Amino acid sequence: MEFWTALARAKRGFRDDLRLHLVAIASLVIAFLCLGAALLSVENLSRVADRWSRAQHMTVYLSADAKKGDVAQLQLVLESLAEVAQVRHVSAADAKREFVEQSDISVEASTLPDEAFPASLEVSLKSEAKSERMRTIVERVRGFGAVEEVETYEELFAQLGSLLSTGKSAVAMLAALVLICVLAIIGNTIRLAVANRRSEIEVLKLCGATDSFVRSPFVLEGLIQATAAAILALLLLVIAYFSARGAVEATLGTITGVHTVFLSPGIALAMVLGGAAAGAAGSALSLRRYLAI
Amino acid sequence: MPEDPRQGRDRPISFFRSRSDRSQAKPILVLEEVYKYFRRDIPTLRNVNLTVERGEFIFVTGPSGSGKSTLLQLIYRQHTVDGGRIVFSGRDVSRLTESSIPYLRRNLGVVFQDFKVVPHWTIFENVAVALEILGTPPKVVRARVAETLERVGLAGRGNERVGHLSGGETQRVAIGRAIVTEPALLLADEPTGNLDPALAIDILTLFEEINASGTTVIFATHDHSLLSSSPHRLIVIDEGRLIEASHGLRAWSARTQMSA
Repeated sequence: MEFWTALARAKRGFRDDLRLHLVAIASLVIAFLCLGAALLSVENLSRVADRWSRAQHMTVYLSADAKKGDVAQLQLVLESLAEVAQVRHVSAADAKREFVEQSDISVEASTLPDEAFPASLEVSLKSEAKSERMRTIVERVRGFGAVEEVETYEELFAQLGSLLSTGKSAVAMLAALVLICVLAIIGNTIRLAVANRRSEIEVLKLCGATDSFVRSPFVLEGLIQATAAAILALLLLVIAYFSARGAVEATLGTITGVHTVFLSPGIALAMVLGGAAAGAAGSALSLRRYLAI
Repeated sequence: MPEDPRQGRDRPISFFRSRSDRSQAKPILVLEEVYKYFRRDIPTLRNVNLTVERGEFIFVTGPSGSGKSTLLQLIYRQHTVDGGRIVFSGRDVSRLTESSIPYLRRNLGVVFQDFKVVPHWTIFENVAVALEILGTPPKVVRARVAETLERVGLAGRGNERVGHLSGGETQRVAIGRAIVTEPALLLADEPTGNLDPALAIDILTLFEEINASGTTVIFATHDHSLLSSSPHRLIVIDEGRLIEASHGLRAWSARTQMSA
């Protein structure tokens, strides 16, 4: 009963201070939108890192003057290794054709220089392949005369890992910043609401309202504001995501080989629940400070 | 014997009702040697003794600043006594903890000169708030508020905003809020102070009707025109001292003139 009474009074509070609450919600939407966008970036970056780390791939670029027999011998050697799952020979012409097919650049294949697409052996590795052992294999493969260069993408993984780690730190900082924003915005909104409703509070106290009865609608107002802002921010993010998805898939998706995804339901729910909790906390803290009853 | 209209109706809360069976015959309010100081050297109230029986209507009068409002504020625990005690329904209100004060106030109705209503709320919301605090179900709230608005002469006007009402109507809203919970004791602190004489008589009549239904009323006023036409018990506060003028204003006036 007390909850429903508090909710009805919170509703009345929204009605009486509508503009104040709308401004607060708009400010909170911006804060949650920043957090949501950052979470979305990290989520997709994680997927790329995960996909690439599981892909375990090595490209052995062949020198331009490599003899057919040497290449076949090298392929046999690689296939005999326990860590290797599959070896595929890609000629310069195949490499050029694959590039034109996979990339979204509409150019004539004939206009691209042949030397930009060296022949290679694309080596798929088994997931249990240990990095120490892989380094030894790479050194041995580099010793073959037909080999120009061996690309293990290790450096790229390291860069991606570093980027991901930076992204996660940035999101953590942004989450803390958003929390501070929520506490400050809700706190100030409730402070103004308390000031606007002094006469109401006085009447309640004279009629025998307990402190919790007076405070509860304000806490609910903070909670509702933050929850509404988090949900609105997620809706805006969904709209933005689906609007930009096509273009992102065509460019970054092709390069990385990973389809983009929206925030997982768990993260979205955590954002809403976390926002609600922060809203209620901001309101309660503000009441402790400004509502002397 | 006429039936008590409030019989069988719930009082706000049992906190002040637990000993009601035994205390029915006892005075509803007793003030014993009450002192209140706002300045260390000058007591606002000094050695105030007062006994109020159930169902009484008492006028408290005296010049501005004499301590009328302070007396009422001590009863509803806006302030605490500095000496003596105030016993309401068998409990010493001056010894209540802060957390118990709301339960005292739920058993009192208070009406003020400045109305103390929420102007942007409707009449219904202003009256219903006292019941919402008690956790009364909405259906009962609607019925009780409608009944109360009829008693105070505002039937069918529940949806009007209080900020748009005249002074007399606003005071009726405040009275409605004070009586909707059917308190044992109704305190009125200069309720006609902001009203013209005709409206003041109307409001006094309303208080008398409420009193006639069994509610004890303490009515503080310095408006002698109200006192002169009224047969009720009269208490005068002068320089913090309480003087019983049991035979009305004329007797008190005569006595003060003689002593002068």
